[in-house]
Amino acid sequence: MISPVVPLAFLTIKILALVGLSVYAVFAGVLVRQEQLMADVLEEAFEPILRILTLIHFFGALGIIGLALVLL
Amino acid sequence: MPVIFQSPVPIESEPAKQHIPVNTPVAPSSVPASKMRPLTTFAVNPDGVRFETQEAEEDVILFLRQHIIVNVPWIIVTLILASAPTIIFPFLFQLVHLPFAIPAGYLIVGALFWYLATFGYALANFISWFFNIYIVTDQRVVDIDFIYLLYKQFSEAELSKIQDISYATGGIFATVFDYGNVTIETAGEVPNLTFDKVPHPEKVVETIRSLTEKGGGGI
Repeated sequence: MISPVVPLAFLTIKILALVGLSVYAVFAGVLVRQEQLMADVLEEAFEPILRILTLIHFFGALGIIGLALVLL
Repeated sequence: MPVIFQSPVPIESEPAKQHIPVNTPVAPSSVPASKMRPLTTFAVNPDGVRFETQEAEEDVILFLRQHIIVNVPWIIVTLILASAPTIIFPFLFQLVHLPFAIPAGYLIVGALFWYLATFGYALANFISWFFNIYIVTDQRVVDIDFIYLLYKQFSEAELSKIQDISYATGGIFATVFDYGNVTIETAGEVPNLTFDKVPHPEKVVETIRSLTEKGGGGI
């Protein structure tokens, strides 16, 4: 028999996970913005690739939040 | 002592020998433009590089980043983090017996987040290295630092303000991979600049010295 504490624990973990993922998405957004600011300082050929990587990272963070809302 | 005899015709003297230092720096203007690559750490007359406050008639002579070997610690950490879900975590789960089963959704979200965070860690470190640059132009020396991605420091010194320049290398890695710290001391209230862990520090010093001598600088 599963203890009634376990569902409550999972609910707590779910809320904490969503809060943590949201904070991480903010960090990913800061990374995108910071990369843009850095690119203004230095113009170089490789910079567009870095921008794409930071955007992939940011949208990945948003995607995991959506996934967590569905799966958790 | 009185001169007893003075020859009316001056004796033909030997032509003065020109002292050529062994380690003479190559004149930057004579070096062909270096093609920039993503991992370039040392480039003379780099092609296609511009920075924020560069003036129209200003040419970049030297472009520097920290030696690529300084990235090794965070790359090792990234590899460990990336291998953790497949190697370390299963081992830990075998040791620790939980009283309940973890739902599959938590495992999927947890694993995906772990990989994303690992990617983010590597990306943040790479960006931090990539945009920490040192530039020598035909007019000044520029040091652009980004600290923890959120703090930007832009330092510069005109070549005419440079009073002394030196470099230091120390340690096994610095000796093997030929990198070190270049310190540029400037006159007045302009703060001193330090190029940390740049490759070929002796060439950096020689190039800046030749530029300052060319421009009638203080060294």
